[in-house]
Amino acid sequence: MFHNSSQRKYWIFKSEDEVAHMRRKANQKFRNKIQESGKSAVSDSMFLERHEEDVLFRHYERRLLDFCNAFKPAMPKSVVGTALMYFRRFYLNNSVMEHHPRTIMLTCAYLSCKVDEFNVSSTQFGGNLLHETPAGQERVLEQILEYELLLIQQLNFHLVVHNPYRPMEGLLIDLKTRYPTLENPESLRKSADDFLTQAAMTDAGLLFPPSQIALAAILNSALRASLSMESYLTECLGLKEDKDSISKMYDSMRRMKTLLKKYELPKADEVNIYKPRLERIHAQFASSSNKRKRGYEDDSHVAKEPRLVEEEWTDEDLM
Amino acid sequence: MDDQGCPRCKTTKYRNPSLKLMVNVCGHTLCENCVEMLFVRGSGNCVQCDTPLRKSNFRVQLFEDPTVDKEVEIRKKVLKIYNKRDFDFSSLREYNDYLEQVEDIGRGTDWGRPPETEVYNLTNNLDVENTKLKMEQYQREHRDLIQKNKATLTREQEELEELLLLEQQGNEQRRLDVLQDEQRQLQAKRKNKQALLDELEQSQLPATILLAQHKVRAAQLETQIEQQKQTVKPTNLFSTGIHMRQTVSLVAVPKVEDVLFHYKPLHVETYGPPVPELEQLSRVGYLNHVRAAMPQDTAGGYTSALACHRAIQDAFSGLFPLKG
Repeated sequence: MFHNSSQRKYWIFKSEDEVAHMRRKANQKFRNKIQESGKSAVSDSMFLERHEEDVLFRHYERRLLDFCNAFKPAMPKSVVGTALMYFRRFYLNNSVMEHHPRTIMLTCAYLSCKVDEFNVSSTQFGGNLLHETPAGQERVLEQILEYELLLIQQLNFHLVVHNPYRPMEGLLIDLKTRYPTLENPESLRKSADDFLTQAAMTDAGLLFPPSQIALAAILNSALRASLSMESYLTECLGLKEDKDSISKMYDSMRRMKTLLKKYELPKADEVNIYKPRLERIHAQFASSSNKRKRGYEDDSHVAKEPRLVEEEWTDEDLM
Repeated sequence: MDDQGCPRCKTTKYRNPSLKLMVNVCGHTLCENCVEMLFVRGSGNCVQCDTPLRKSNFRVQLFEDPTVDKEVEIRKKVLKIYNKRDFDFSSLREYNDYLEQVEDIGRGTDWGRPPETEVYNLTNNLDVENTKLKMEQYQREHRDLIQKNKATLTREQEELEELLLLEQQGNEQRRLDVLQDEQRQLQAKRKNKQALLDELEQSQLPATILLAQHKVRAAQLETQIEQQKQTVKPTNLFSTGIHMRQTVSLVAVPKVEDVLFHYKPLHVETYGPPVPELEQLSRVGYLNHVRAAMPQDTAGGYTSALACHRAIQDAFSGLFPLKG
């Protein structure tokens, strides 16, 4: 359950500032690493700034969502939610410049299928990579397998993610049973669902417990439909005396709504500027670990070739 | 049974599992027939290693690996000479050293070099001459000690044998007793039958009464036999060997007083409103809003209450903000 899960202990942070701080640290760490290793022709302008990284992150996140939605067989919502959460957590402690998001996002999807017991064989998974030849799919799969352990490590081996979808179902059931004032809770479902999908693209999962997100979704959709639900909190959830908690809960919901509002779709032109820079950074600073991964397959290949091979499939190949 | 064959006649061992293998001092095996064959011709050389052999040196093989047999022989010989016991030494360390020496020739406890054991040497025919010399020297030096140790050894063996003999005698006695009992019972039964027949012949009473009497007597006999079987022969020895009359001192067991244990049920903090129990769900009305379980689902023990309970648990877990 959520209350004794690793998610509550290690992956729920106090404020958006803390989260932003962690990302800044990751960015800085990468910069330091490159500068310490003393590679030539390093200028500060080559590195991506935080907001640029954010744009790219959101871009790839959207692509992950589209990939999961286009997945055959149909991926359950919890699997999609888990994949997005892995992606988000990974880039909390790592910089986009260090590990390219395009591989990480596929690895996240692959791992979340496994963890959430949505059984997809690797060939089936590869088959979902349209616009790729079968050989290309093989190569991508190999890369996914190489990155898998790194991903698990960076998630600190905390693989169980609690998504807000089941809490939302539970709240609807509870509303129907104990709250007859609200006539048709089912009408709230659609817009609550949309709220949750949007929330998955924000940092809400890193700041609030999933049940609170679900409650916020339902209250929000009730508000939209101009149905009043205050008495639910006081009566049914037993918070009559506890004004403090109620105010805190409303506060959290307000913060969530702000987060959702703040989210903006990545603009295409911005993306087109930052992506080549990202590619250049990767081309130049491809970490030695990549070479090692390739190296053991065939010793003669250790050298310039691996970097080129990685570039062969681009983002367009995925969609 | 045995996967090795006689090296000379090869086939005979497989075809004849009852054939025994004999081992000699060089460690090679020969089946009985081949041993005969070999000494008929008068030549006494081992087939594989060509060492000169005597017929008396052949012993029936006890172990599957002939080298083990050879080592056992040599060990017996060596230990006849090096037969100090553990109480001959003042400390465990000395005893262990001595043992090592028996295995370890000359170099003693020098760990730097690979150990050459006495037995190892002889078994593998390394340095046989040197080893034999060393052994003879030791024998001369410790002649008296060896004799004394031999004496103690034989004494111990005698004691063991005595005990074994006693046990065997006890067993025999018991067996005889049981046999005798059975004999007696059989005789008693036969006598009873005979008596019945006689009475039927001679007595004036009607047959039915006689039969009834006979039955009564037979029943009495049976009960008698049963009782006899059940009477335990009084012994004065427990199975561990302690005499029955012996008083054993019983040290008082110290009493341990401790705080009485109070059960406190486990309390799990869920940071949310209380969740109704699984059994109460249908009563309160939750189950009306959950998809009912299909017949094929219930086979595995699934009920819709389970899914409902899980959803409610997830909805309420962590719902309240943290205090403070």
